[in-house]
Amino acid sequence: MSTLLSINDLSKKYRRSNGIFTSSLHNAYKDINFTLEQGKTLSIIGESGSGKSTLVQTIAGLRTQSSGEIYLHGKPLSKLSLQERCKSIRMLFHAPSDSLNPKATIGRILAAPLKLNSNLMAIERDKQIKETLNLVGLLPDYLAFYPNMLSSVQQHQVALARAMVLNPDIIIADEILAGLDISLRFKLVNLLLNIQEKKGVSYIMVAHNMSLVRHISDHIIVMHNGEIVENDETETVYSSPKSKKTKHLLQSHQPDYRK
Amino acid sequence: MLINNEFNEQKIQSPLQYIWSIFKSKNITVIAMWAVFFLIIVSIFADSILPYSHTLQHPEMRLLPPYWVDGASVNHILGTDDLGRDTLSRLLKGMQLTLLGALLITFSISILGLIIGATASLMKGVKASIMHHFLDALLTIPTLLTAIILIILFGVSYENSLLAVSLSLLPQFIRGIYICIENELNKQHVIALRLDGATNLRLLRYGIFPNIIEPLTTLLNRVFTMAILEITTLGFLGFGANSEQVELGYLISKSLELVYLSPYLALFPGIAIFLIIIVFNIFSEGIRHSVIEGEE
Repeated sequence: MSTLLSINDLSKKYRRSNGIFTSSLHNAYKDINFTLEQGKTLSIIGESGSGKSTLVQTIAGLRTQSSGEIYLHGKPLSKLSLQERCKSIRMLFHAPSDSLNPKATIGRILAAPLKLNSNLMAIERDKQIKETLNLVGLLPDYLAFYPNMLSSVQQHQVALARAMVLNPDIIIADEILAGLDISLRFKLVNLLLNIQEKKGVSYIMVAHNMSLVRHISDHIIVMHNGEIVENDETETVYSSPKSKKTKHLLQSHQPDYRK
Repeated sequence: MLINNEFNEQKIQSPLQYIWSIFKSKNITVIAMWAVFFLIIVSIFADSILPYSHTLQHPEMRLLPPYWVDGASVNHILGTDDLGRDTLSRLLKGMQLTLLGALLITFSISILGLIIGATASLMKGVKASIMHHFLDALLTIPTLLTAIILIILFGVSYENSLLAVSLSLLPQFIRGIYICIENELNKQHVIALRLDGATNLRLLRYGIFPNIIEPLTTLLNRVFTMAILEITTLGFLGFGANSEQVELGYLISKSLELVYLSPYLALFPGIAIFLIIIVFNIFSEGIRHSVIEGEE
């Protein structure tokens, strides 16, 4: 398998004020190194505040790093145009009810990335949108709907369709499974895996639920205080965790089926 | 937002249509809406409706009371003033100047304020902070005081009073717009749109403006109300209109010396100001509530 994304010595510092006149530099994350291969799933787990969200937001292009470089297909991301970046890396947000514009129809939400990043004609765009809707398992009827008319899992499907409509290489999912109840969570997971099988897309998942992570991912990164403490194949991490933090996470995890 | 009519057809309303259908269902707001239209149309066509010219003097009929009081004349429904000028004509003319002036101010402020506020919220760094601190400094001065200072600089006239009032109200509006847009910018759907590669203009058009209608109506309503009050205050203090341009505040101040002889002269302009403000406030409050209900 070819290497899709590789991250070299990525660090992010930010300034936090301690008193009125003093401030000090803190690391959101530092010295991050990992690679992602085509068609694989990488999960990033860790406690809150461990820098995992900031890291994936940097990869998605929402934030900038202080040092280090991200390479996509061997090319540094800073050299790519915004369009090329949009086309190959897409992001799914935590709550689709927030990330879909309440005043736009599903059709317009899905057409926006195509309009902005491709030269397709209106008919081709339409075709592409319908194919994508089919891929995520929604009927074309939904194109005229507004996001608040859909159920939460349908909103997730629309958000996924928005990410998939440009046929990206990488999809970054920031804790998308946290807000759903258990059956819908599995529905979404199966959908994600099906899409991966069909399209060969890679995922970077940020997650809390350890058992689901084990099911989905090929590779796991455990982060603590902005550093990678464990970076290995999923089964190796689960069977013989090296760091204390990973053991702690595995022990403290109890499947929560509260919802 | 789904409607099922008798043929079991499903029709999806756009947010605006939905807001309109909620708005229509409230009697008092619909009445206020028609009252607003009525006031605006009367003001626009005041010159053709006027029974007499507002400066025409009738020396033989001075200080007449309204027609329902003894000793009145039917030719002058609301009576006349000390020079025999028709009160109704002067009132309509005054309403024209005050209401249309305030609408003009609201319109120009909304355009200017939206442009400046949107630029300010999308800007970052030193330019943005200079602008914010400059605006903050302006916000500490009461608007009426700013207007009076400006009108002394420009020279006393009705047009200059409009200019002074709009300049004095602009900082508040920009600040309001800036805060609204800033709040929206942090929402995830705007961030998602930005990740789609949207330009700032597209972000504003599709991502932000459809979602800030509610705070926008409040802001515009406040600007309008303040504009009416400031125009009339400036007129009352003698900083605005002259004897040619009878604006409502000016009318009241000129009637004050006659208030024992003919209290109606001061009463009617006062009622007119009150009506304008209350009707527009009910109207905009109705819009605001419909928008809020439509979003739920």
